[in-house]
Amino acid sequence: MLRCKMTLPHWSSFLGGLFVLVLASGCSKNPEAQFAWRDSTLELLPKAQDAVQQSITEGFGTPHDLVAWDKLPVDFGGVQGVVQPAVEGAKLSATEFQVQWDGTEDGIGAGSELLWMTGALAKSKTPTATVISYQPETKTLRLKTKNDAPAQGDRLAVGLGHQLQLGRMVYMKNCNHCHGVAGDGNGPTAQYLNPRPRDYRLGLFKFTSTLSSEKATREDLQRIVKYGIPGTYMPSFLLLDSKHNNFHETTAVVEYVRWLAMRGEMEKRLVDELSADYSQTALADEAEKEKKSYAEAKSEYDKARKAGNKEAAKPESAKSLTQLKKAAGEELAKYLEVDYPGTLNDTADFIADAWKRADDPASRIVPTVTRVADDAASRERGRLLYMSDKTKCYTCHGAKARGNGPAVEDFWKKPGSNETYAKRGLHDTWGNPLPPRDLTRGQYRGGRRPIDIFSRVYAGIKGTPMPAFGGTVLKDNDIWDIVNYVMSLPYEEQSPSAKPAAAPHMAATEPVGQ
Amino acid sequence: MGRFWAIFFILAAVVTVGFSAIGPEFRWWFPGDGLAHSTLGKKIDDLFYLILIIVSVTYVGTHIVLGYVLWRGAGIQKSDKVWFSHGSHALEVIWTIVPSGILLFIAFYQMDVWRNYRVKAYFPKKTAAVAEVTARQFEWRIRYPAPGKILQPRPQPDDIYTVNDIRVPAGQPVSISLRSDDVQHAIFVPGLRVKQDAVPGLVIPVWFEVTDTGTYDMVCAELCGWGHYKMKAQVVASSEEEFEAWKVNAAKEQSYDGVPQTPEAVAAKADDE
Repeated sequence: MLRCKMTLPHWSSFLGGLFVLVLASGCSKNPEAQFAWRDSTLELLPKAQDAVQQSITEGFGTPHDLVAWDKLPVDFGGVQGVVQPAVEGAKLSATEFQVQWDGTEDGIGAGSELLWMTGALAKSKTPTATVISYQPETKTLRLKTKNDAPAQGDRLAVGLGHQLQLGRMVYMKNCNHCHGVAGDGNGPTAQYLNPRPRDYRLGLFKFTSTLSSEKATREDLQRIVKYGIPGTYMPSFLLLDSKHNNFHETTAVVEYVRWLAMRGEMEKRLVDELSADYSQTALADEAEKEKKSYAEAKSEYDKARKAGNKEAAKPESAKSLTQLKKAAGEELAKYLEVDYPGTLNDTADFIADAWKRADDPASRIVPTVTRVADDAASRERGRLLYMSDKTKCYTCHGAKARGNGPAVEDFWKKPGSNETYAKRGLHDTWGNPLPPRDLTRGQYRGGRRPIDIFSRVYAGIKGTPMPAFGGTVLKDNDIWDIVNYVMSLPYEEQSPSAKPAAAPHMAATEPVGQ
Repeated sequence: MGRFWAIFFILAAVVTVGFSAIGPEFRWWFPGDGLAHSTLGKKIDDLFYLILIIVSVTYVGTHIVLGYVLWRGAGIQKSDKVWFSHGSHALEVIWTIVPSGILLFIAFYQMDVWRNYRVKAYFPKKTAAVAEVTARQFEWRIRYPAPGKILQPRPQPDDIYTVNDIRVPAGQPVSISLRSDDVQHAIFVPGLRVKQDAVPGLVIPVWFEVTDTGTYDMVCAELCGWGHYKMKAQVVASSEEEFEAWKVNAAKEQSYDGVPQTPEAVAAKADDE
């Protein structure tokens, strides 16, 4: 261990001084990890800000103190069960009893923490007992605890949150420096990357196997973690698979990312609910508007007076920003008391339902027909569809599919406003410039299996201008024709008739040196 | 102090030799099981051991001489006459010629291995190119030819792709074409003693023959950026049949069209063929 405080004798040379400097900088405490708030959260009136931050922290905790909110469809890890006496009606001991588990009790061992979910002991929201040993044969737990004996049927959870904790560990080690502690895509290395790392806080993920209105499945996110995204800085974490107490690193980090996405979306939705009426900018705008309308009314009034109209009503003076804030504060207090708890509950339900639905098989894209035979006729049909006004693929991806259609030359409006983006070309929901994919490069960010390309066309790419064609505009066999056409594009120029056969690879394939 | 330093330097040699002798027991040695699992790797290890022996003999010999000189020196009286060796022509010639001879011997002796490893004309006959390995910040992307085909310099529609996972058949010389998408990287498989820089703009053939089936760690050995440590991959060597079967399976997985394979559908397809 390095000791941070070190006194050197007075004769310490310059070099000695340097040594202390190096030690001191090495020992300086790292800034504590914390979930950064959205800019729009910090824009709210102080009371509204407190309400949002408090409810988010209550539901999700801090990076050092995670909260497992049972409303969320996150597999936090751990197993639940109910207390079962060995003999019916026998008196239960505080430190040793049998448990009927809900699932497999693999992860339980000495040191696992126990949390009471129901019954007289379920007063604390943190674990109150530690497992000394567990006997799988008799399903008997031995505990170290100060609690009283539980009652039969009391529900308990052992090792609750272990998967989320492992996910956090993996995330902090591998993902945090680009994706940020809160999953805001704003870690310290993010600024050097183009495209920018994903900001999870909209709850949106681009490459999914689900319908356009649905979230990503666990499997989708796992594929991204395992195989990376070619053409971006997201590398493959294929070998990230060591096991800790029966939890896999990849599974755990995906749960953590889903959880961060839920946290971020929850914050955003709550803030969006409040910011129209209770944010500093909204109130400043309001005051500005008041001032303007008063000035107009005043000049009207002055004109009327000059014209001799003595009945003209004198306009009310404009409300100042302070007055507006006071009024908004009163209104807010009422809102927070009456409506906010309901809003909070509905928002959480809405997000939880959306994520639950994603893992429902009904949300998944399943082609109704198998891939249409990949022949010249199918590719030609695909090409005609690509160039048709039904799909308008060419407007973005270009007539030669080089990602340079006319759309990249236009200035586009920001959604929900009259402003245009500062740069030409398309943008994603996060506001970053997004060139349409050059389809001749053979690089597929969301995977190169036919089903991956099919899904991109069927459901679009979430958070981007790539629209969904499936079900409405195109039939499944039409989409397969487009897939066949698109997948043939990278090889078009090197088809055997167009070009002499390429020489075999230079790595000696033939006997050499004879 | 008397003869302390004489004993100290002799003991230093004894302790070093002792630690080296028990080192492998504690795995303070080559990675993994300490053995090279490729034909060339075994030759490289032989070279390493040869140099280790030369260095050990020199090291121990030097310490013995040093100890002897110190021991003798401690007994010299002030009245004894000094033997003045500085400028001795014979000594200068000896300690120039002996180390040069050793170095020249090493230089010529290793040439064979170097030539076999690096000079394409001396690659083993029938070295098949199994894959193209492209290093990029911060992963390895690998492209294989379809089952039964040979690797083409440009991607083909039926190529098979993996990432961070190189599959090769064991028991035969194979080569990979090493490329880089961005900066300089280096492929390093310690268990096979394979190490080669990947240079942007070049396609570098690297051959090796894995002698034992198994999974070998692979890392990047050229500091390539902040994510250098993330470039962890594996080389999986299996029997030729297993390798071909893996390829067929990987090709099938890569052409997955998302339609669940019901037993009826599979049966219908079998009837068609």
